[in-house]
Amino acid sequence: MTARAERLPEPSNPLGIDGIEFVEYATSQAQAFGAVLQKMGFAPVARHRSREVTLYRQGSMNLIVNSDSPSGKNEPDKTPTLAAIALRVRDAGQAFQHSLDLGAWEMPTRAAAMELHIPGIHGVGDSLIYFVDRYRDFAIYDVDFVFDSNAKPDPPALAGLHWFGLVQAILPDRTADWLDFYRTLFGFQVLPRGKYFGVLPKGTLLESPCRKFYLQLIEPPAGAEEMRWNEGLVRVGLGAPDVPKAVKALQQRGVVFVDHGAVQPSDKGALTQVYLGGATFELVVSHL
Amino acid sequence: MNLDNFGMDTITLAGPLEAKLKAVREAGFTQIMLNATDIVGHPGGEAAAVAAVRSSGLRVTGFQVLRDFEGLSGTLHAYKVDVAKGMLEMCHALGSTVLLACSTVSPHSTHDFSLIKKDLQKLAMLAVPLNIRIAYEALSWGRHVNLFPQSWEIVAEADRANLGLCLDSFHILAHGTELDLLADIDPLKVFLVQLSDFLWQETRSAEERIETARHSRVFPGEGVHSEKVIELVRALDEMGYRGDYSFEVFNDDYRQLPLPVVAQRARASVKWITGRVARRSLPARRQA
Repeated sequence: MTARAERLPEPSNPLGIDGIEFVEYATSQAQAFGAVLQKMGFAPVARHRSREVTLYRQGSMNLIVNSDSPSGKNEPDKTPTLAAIALRVRDAGQAFQHSLDLGAWEMPTRAAAMELHIPGIHGVGDSLIYFVDRYRDFAIYDVDFVFDSNAKPDPPALAGLHWFGLVQAILPDRTADWLDFYRTLFGFQVLPRGKYFGVLPKGTLLESPCRKFYLQLIEPPAGAEEMRWNEGLVRVGLGAPDVPKAVKALQQRGVVFVDHGAVQPSDKGALTQVYLGGATFELVVSHL
Repeated sequence: MNLDNFGMDTITLAGPLEAKLKAVREAGFTQIMLNATDIVGHPGGEAAAVAAVRSSGLRVTGFQVLRDFEGLSGTLHAYKVDVAKGMLEMCHALGSTVLLACSTVSPHSTHDFSLIKKDLQKLAMLAVPLNIRIAYEALSWGRHVNLFPQSWEIVAEADRANLGLCLDSFHILAHGTELDLLADIDPLKVFLVQLSDFLWQETRSAEERIETARHSRVFPGEGVHSEKVIELVRALDEMGYRGDYSFEVFNDDYRQLPLPVVAQRARASVKWITGRVARRSLPARRQA
């Protein structure tokens, strides 16, 4: 056992969460979505050994696009949906067990021979939350992925882009339930009301116990009774130290930003148009 | 208070699920409390039962019943967690947002309230992703928890948004619990109220309570404690409870009478309650 594994969990960060290891999208339109991601500054660097899964990278961000059809299941929706978030933790096995002991749902394991088993639990909607502890000395991708020898394995970030957080849609009156979920399982803290980042200041903002990313919980707006509103992860937030500079760099690559109504690109943040029927990216001023 | 606040329970009626749904709807009710046996015992299988409920137009008041969940350890606990997950999945499939969990009668369970609380917190956590609220009920013959002030103490200490109480008039009447004690309860934490009466004055032992509860309950207005039921409804109404009232009437005679006859008795009971609660509250309004 290493010294790291013997360290006792801290009460404020019971799982030793240390940021986001990767974000996973599912879509049957892997190529079209890949083109969108490349506009956003991500580059494809590796492919999974046995599945239709591609790893994109940009700076410190890993993003996985999964168009695999698990046996017995339909292929993923065309619209890219946020299917999973992988959390860096001190000890993945311990994090997994701790979560199950508190009432999390175990996700079915899918690892094949010679593949890493990444433990995970059910999150909101159909999404999963993985636990990854191999991110220091070697990475999970070294085992399950084949890197493209013609691509740089670590493409730099455009305008300093980095993970800022995720936005989660929830049903009416469900904020308290989800606060219990994230506080109890992971030690997230609620930021005081009125403390927001970016250009979409609404809902409830939660800070990760490692203070490296945020979750925003959003109930449907008032008067939206007729709107189709399901629970799920709806978009990622990308942090940028200088949002106008990042917007400009992305616009030059063909990214279109929403610039009407209440949402205008500003020093605080910006929101891209909706791609492929559902995928948007939010920029938020951040020095994380 | 009107008919929409009241529902029948399938356990009162004989026959197949579809006949029960039809009788309840035709009597003018808009909601129904379902039992797991309605679903798993359906000759067309679970999916057919779910489809029948979903196409009935009736709202599902709640789903019952998870028994003997809390206070177990080791293999027994793990077994009950699996049972709970199965119940939660059925509850979710039916579009029900309330799962009824009765206080344990198991001789293998601990009386340690802190462990009982921990297990209920775990159950509540399991229910969060499925948008289900757990209504914990003190069975009058429960092994450790058999009075509503005890169930309230545990629920209040557990402090989970989706963990609340089910109050059943039978258990309160059978024990003669003081209704003044309701004042300690946060009305927003009462997730379900079940109403029934019975035809004799006292139940002297746990055995007698069980026998009466399972075979000889009647609708409010038909028994000998109906004034007490009215007091209970009025107290709940005045403290701000605005949730559902479900007729939890286990009665062997009603299970051998035509469904429309029984449903009309339920309907008459609603009229009896709403008439009396409304009449009684008039003088108070005049004084104000």
